[in-house]
Amino acid sequence: MAGPYNGLRVIDTTGLAGAYATRLFAGLGAEVIRLEPPDGSPLRYLAPFAESIAPPENSLWWSYLAMGTRSVVIEPGDNDSLAQILSSADVIFEDRLPEDSLIDPDLLPDTTVRTSIVPFGLTGPKRSWKSSNLVAWAASGVLYATGFRDRAPVAPAGHVQLALHASAASALVGTLLALRARRKSGEGQQVEISMQEAALAIAPETGVPVFLDDRVHRERSGNRRDLGRPFGLYPCSDGFVSIIVLLPRHWTAMASWVAEATGNETITEEVFEDLGVRMETQDLIDTWVEELTVGQSRQALFDEGQRRGIPVTPVNTVNALLDDPHLKAAKFWSETQLPDGSSVAIPGAPFRTNADWWTMTAAPLLGQHTEFYLG
Amino acid sequence: MTNSAIELPLEGIRVFELGTAIASPFCGRLMAHYGADVLKIESRVSPDVVRILGSAWIKGRDDLAAAAPDTSPYVPEMNASKRSVGLELKTTAGRKAALALIAECDVFLANFGARALAELGLDYESVSAVNPKIVYVQLPGFGSDPDMPYYSYVAWGPNQAPLVGFDDFTGHASDPPAGIATVAPPDYMSALHAAVATLSGLEHLELTGDGVHVDVSQFETTLALLGPFVMDYDLSGTVHSRIGNRSLWGAPQGVYPCAGHERWIAISATDDESWDVLSSLMKLPDDHFDDPDLRLAQQEQLDSQIGTWTVNFDADDLAHRLQSVGVAAHVVSTNEDLLHDTHTMSRNWYQVASHARLGRDVFSDCAVKLKGTPGRWTDAGPSLGQHTREVLRDVAGMSDEEISQLVSDKGAFEQLEPETLVPRPWDDWIHLLVPGTADARDL
Repeated sequence: MAGPYNGLRVIDTTGLAGAYATRLFAGLGAEVIRLEPPDGSPLRYLAPFAESIAPPENSLWWSYLAMGTRSVVIEPGDNDSLAQILSSADVIFEDRLPEDSLIDPDLLPDTTVRTSIVPFGLTGPKRSWKSSNLVAWAASGVLYATGFRDRAPVAPAGHVQLALHASAASALVGTLLALRARRKSGEGQQVEISMQEAALAIAPETGVPVFLDDRVHRERSGNRRDLGRPFGLYPCSDGFVSIIVLLPRHWTAMASWVAEATGNETITEEVFEDLGVRMETQDLIDTWVEELTVGQSRQALFDEGQRRGIPVTPVNTVNALLDDPHLKAAKFWSETQLPDGSSVAIPGAPFRTNADWWTMTAAPLLGQHTEFYLG
Repeated sequence: MTNSAIELPLEGIRVFELGTAIASPFCGRLMAHYGADVLKIESRVSPDVVRILGSAWIKGRDDLAAAAPDTSPYVPEMNASKRSVGLELKTTAGRKAALALIAECDVFLANFGARALAELGLDYESVSAVNPKIVYVQLPGFGSDPDMPYYSYVAWGPNQAPLVGFDDFTGHASDPPAGIATVAPPDYMSALHAAVATLSGLEHLELTGDGVHVDVSQFETTLALLGPFVMDYDLSGTVHSRIGNRSLWGAPQGVYPCAGHERWIAISATDDESWDVLSSLMKLPDDHFDDPDLRLAQQEQLDSQIGTWTVNFDADDLAHRLQSVGVAAHVVSTNEDLLHDTHTMSRNWYQVASHARLGRDVFSDCAVKLKGTPGRWTDAGPSLGQHTREVLRDVAGMSDEEISQLVSDKGAFEQLEPETLVPRPWDDWIHLLVPGTADARDL
């Protein structure tokens, strides 16, 4: 069968804050129409670019996030076209406050679900504040707690734009809930996502309820954490690996591994089985563990650590991920066509089903579907 | 305020949840908030990690051992409004009761490892044999196909971010990877995808009358967020890595020091309009940086110039000043700052609901807000085993005698010492934190 949202018409007027939502929606069958100004969506101007292709078709953000959608250009002031296309909208995604919206609410049927993804929500003293991925993380408590102590705080995976993707994914969840409510009530409704709250929601570790409980000021702790040892990133021959040892059985396995690989018998002494002792001697433990890790590759440590039942993972880089044996065997990677006909690797479907839901097509050219919808 | 006359989107949906820590529990909580009856199946033999964490103020209180599993603040953060059913699935009788519940559920949601689920006899084949219409959503670290290389590998929160490249993307360009030590974005992104999958599955069920199996491999799901960087590597061989707080799209963007110890401000002024306003506030002596390409090319110099300006100001004052002229900025909030964030307070981001053990408790709201059918919190979070009897009786149709037998056979367990009530030490001033709850003690 086609995706479960086949037959649903979705209008997207957002930039990066909503793009991941409508990409998923399109993959699940919805007919997603991106309304673009004559010079194109802001997504079309985001680096990195495909060198062989001219603007406004060269942004890889556009080529990825606009996959499966259709592009309709609306000239400024062309309210007739806007009215025509909005009259059949089941859902509209927006990233502006109602007073700044380009959409006259009277043009939307009562049955339309209106999903707004805005920096600080539709109400409250900061409702008109601007945001970005970085600013959303700053307002969540996560930014302050990420990075090395002697350096400025850093956003988690900054240019991946996680706070925006979390907002978009939350917005899709809200939209699907609203569509379910519509099935019962026949009415559309407003769905609201505050980017600050989308980031707060995925960071209870720095949130108020946890702070009330432990009264611990969350500090940056670099790439290791004082919850255990070894715990965090350790250097190896081609980068870093992540080792998380909390449970007693993980420590026993870790100590034997270090002893076998480096001849260090001291580490297997009973005294180190006590987490408290390992924390007091953490520099020593880290040194011993590094004697194991520095001479071996990420993948070798990953495979051997896992064989021993220890939570070890590589600190992957993009190139390593494309070579990863599991992802290759699972045929995860997919591809899309760029406007010049070249093929390029992309991540495959975000989840797998025994029903045939997921379909994807290449991102549209600017105005590719204007004629179809307005002609 | 909850209007009980409004029918919530997931009312009438029952979820069988086998969750631990974050990925599946966060998804289940969202569904409970929107009206689903979420049965959190719990074990005392191998408990959910949030039941082990306990609470800082209860440490060393042996007299409160029975209450301890209910006291971690992560219990409501991940499980508010669910019902807790104590079943030991490794016992024959416990598993049989679980299957009886599954027959009455619409959704099966689990983030146990794929092998662990199979060993419990709760893989898709076994569950759909009992309930062919089940929407079965599982979130294993590496997928549920036993033939794949990492099938039996272990991964959890802090290990997932390095695996999918997030840690390498975190930190300043000249430093080793800083990693994402404190929080676990991949868990939550998997949870949100699982919510999308579950709602799609319910739609699929409405349309076709069939159940469905969704395999949310957390490895693959999180990688779906790396699209443009994968493409650029494939096209040009460029291996993108960490660039601190900077943007590929314009400058300045960064975190700058402010007056005081460890006070910082985050500023994004990457477009010309924002830069014009910022540079005139800074009273720059020349228009050197008015060229956007030059700003990108000379970020080191630009950032240090901004930092020598911001350090003169209180971070929050400066954020207000910048936002008042349209520049995206915010104080880099500490967890103490969040306690005093008047904006989130005005939006009631922290919620209070009743709790069988604590009387009442505070927890974070849901970021997904629906105006017409707002979600509700019926309970701050279940006490371990609180609903075993009522669920086995009302949902599985077992008699009280059968339930008691199951409990004495150690196939199930009920809440320990229900009479032991322990308000949190800060219970008396919850109203200062959550306005309007002064009278909520009687919830």
